[in-house]
Amino acid sequence: MNRPEIQDVLYEAPGPKTRRRIRLFTILALLLLAGLLAAIVRQFAVTGQFQPKYWFFFARLTTWRFLGEGLVTTLGAALVGSALAFGMGFLLMRGKIRGNPVLRWLCTALIEFTRGVPTLLFIYFFFLIVPGTGWKLSAFWKITLPCAISACGVVAEALRSGVNAVPKGQREAALSLGYRETKLFYRIIFPQAIRFVIPSLIAELVIVLKDTTFASIVSCADLMQNAKVLISNYDALLSIYLVVAVIYILINYMLNRLSDRVARLLKGGGSAERRAA
Amino acid sequence: MSISALLTQYGDRYLQALFATWRLTAFSFFGAVVIGIVITVLRVCPISPLRVFGNFYVQVFRNIPGAALLILLVYALPYLNIVFPYEICVLIATVLIPSAFCSEHLMSGMNTIHPGQIEAARALGMTFFQIIRRIVIPQALRSSVLPMTNLMVATMLTTSLGSQVPLRPQELTGIVSYINTRSAGGVTAFAISAALYCLTALFIGALGGWIDRKVRILR
Amino acid sequence: MKKILSVIAALALLLFSISALAEAPAATAIDKAAFDALIASGPVAEDETVAASTWASAVREAGILRVGGTRTSFLFSQLDETDNGIRGFDAGLYELLTRYILGDETKYELTQVNSSTRESVLTSGQVDAVFATYSITPSRQEVISFAGPYYTSQQAILVKAGNQEITGVDSLADKIVATQAGSTGPSILAEFAPDAIAQEFEDDLQARTAVEQGRADAYVTDYTLILNSIVKNPGAYAVAGDVFGPLDPYGIGLPKDSDGVAFVNAFLNRLIEDGTWAKLWKISLGERTGIETVPQAPTVGE
Repeated sequence: MNRPEIQDVLYEAPGPKTRRRIRLFTILALLLLAGLLAAIVRQFAVTGQFQPKYWFFFARLTTWRFLGEGLVTTLGAALVGSALAFGMGFLLMRGKIRGNPVLRWLCTALIEFTRGVPTLLFIYFFFLIVPGTGWKLSAFWKITLPCAISACGVVAEALRSGVNAVPKGQREAALSLGYRETKLFYRIIFPQAIRFVIPSLIAELVIVLKDTTFASIVSCADLMQNAKVLISNYDALLSIYLVVAVIYILINYMLNRLSDRVARLLKGGGSAERRAA
Repeated sequence: MSISALLTQYGDRYLQALFATWRLTAFSFFGAVVIGIVITVLRVCPISPLRVFGNFYVQVFRNIPGAALLILLVYALPYLNIVFPYEICVLIATVLIPSAFCSEHLMSGMNTIHPGQIEAARALGMTFFQIIRRIVIPQALRSSVLPMTNLMVATMLTTSLGSQVPLRPQELTGIVSYINTRSAGGVTAFAISAALYCLTALFIGALGGWIDRKVRILR
Repeated sequence: MKKILSVIAALALLLFSISALAEAPAATAIDKAAFDALIASGPVAEDETVAASTWASAVREAGILRVGGTRTSFLFSQLDETDNGIRGFDAGLYELLTRYILGDETKYELTQVNSSTRESVLTSGQVDAVFATYSITPSRQEVISFAGPYYTSQQAILVKAGNQEITGVDSLADKIVATQAGSTGPSILAEFAPDAIAQEFEDDLQARTAVEQGRADAYVTDYTLILNSIVKNPGAYAVAGDVFGPLDPYGIGLPKDSDGVAFVNAFLNRLIEDGTWAKLWKISLGERTGIETVPQAPTVGE
């Protein structure tokens, strides 16, 4: 990727006149943004949302410990959910690529089904229907399972595109060396495919993490639910939800950064052939 | 409950819910693309505060969970004396989140344009906005039809947020919870909504594939 | 990553500096010391009493009482994150019951329930008992059994302070009225104010926020909850008219036809006789809503 990024070629090095114009617009934009920020702060002030009674408990360690406990549950659900989604997605992908026509059709249908139905519908299913069947599930699994099911189709498709991205020649070479299909897949194809898709798998983790915010529907004590306990204790809805939203954004932002970094690392470290693919 | 009994009793509601989901999806997708384009222009414009703002916007709405955003809009904003009706709150949430992803798709769509084209356009004396409008956006849109198709499906999935507030009429997820807390709709109630979602997604996918074949730029 | 960390640090610093300005406001908090002392002095059942009940024996065998309840019911069962104690009228009762069976009031395990899941946790055997401002109704009695009642409530109307239009249940027609989903609120509203436009909310906070924000004109719910909202937010709300509707008895949900009903009823009667019930009522409800006189305890087992 020696080509410059598009934003860098959209305009040439500006001349003195353009530079003056840019400077003018920069100042205007700064004023506009500052005005926006000031309006928000003012709205907080006039509605009394800066009053200490809405914020004092953030100076308490117990508040953060309690939010931290919720966060651990959230991250646990996201990690376990993603791992399950990976397992199920892997099976679906294998079924779609290899199995007999019936299995192949079934896997394709399952993938399309999980990709086309919102996570919330799966959550309501586990919330409203599953308890009636006598299947005992703790609140943690009632949020983790639907999130995993909802993500597995996307994971399957990501893995499949990874497998397809491995050059055909490798398969032919391995077959001519006498590799059997299974060995070929696990020793040659999959290790390479997984490298292509690691970034999108991390991105999937973010999606699962976001979906777990519905955990309070099934009364699972995640970050969002613990926030509700605090709100009920302190009657400070705006400040608490705002802080919790910022926590979610920061975590997902860091995960996305990680995904980008891994993607770049893998791109840079790959062989010439892989880059060509 | 059998499927026919369910449809006799709640058929009208399901139809209304389907239309509600479609309407929300269409409005949200349209809004998301418009805002996505505006934000993308901000992100590549020469004025650095606007670039920073554009990137900040994308990071915030790409990373905020839908549930958190909706709760802020519905329950927190009124504490700042800003009260929107429920429908509008849902619509805002289902516009803001996809718009960030839309901008990301457009950015990568733009990167498929060869810099030579921009240089040629500049040599012809086009201004920044002319280049954006005539060269960059059309090509970025054309080469991002498939990601946009996925975005529209994602937008449809996001509209299920509507089940978290009292909407009238309800959308496809809200109606399932409505039916199941009143009569034992059971698995059937879910199956109907799930099937309607899936068919909509398949239809969007097919439409996107068709458009993509028409407009794809072969390089 | 460094940049992010510094942003977090800056945010934290900002929060702390704002927060440091203030002390905890004098809210309508529960008297923790009195509550904890009351629970710790609760009765413990004799071995033969427990042995006579298969339900209680099973709990003693397991060494833990599995309770279905909530953490966000400010008056009845509210988690205090500063010391992890759950306090309130319902919480007091299940902690006392835990002590009664197991001799240690901390040996309970709370599974969170909401209005829509209270039956299912019992029918699927996830919990031994449900304490969650749980109205005894015939339709619920078809799938589970109730011990109690241990508390009687009635519905009332919460409006925004200064609302002159709504003066009672008769003036609710064509008004947007909030209720709690899964509670008895919606059906009582449909019976007593059929022309009101009902809007259902997930919990108490959301429903009364809707009234505060003008999204709903009134909120029909348990009178005690309304009193608490008013005490917690002086000047924000008012009660419109009198309490109305049928007497709403709260019971303790138990598995269908369990002999735990007799056991828990005996336990409740003991609390009422030795005055623990009245003290618990005073600490959890009376002192926090400004009601001076302790009401007559309901007759258990009716």
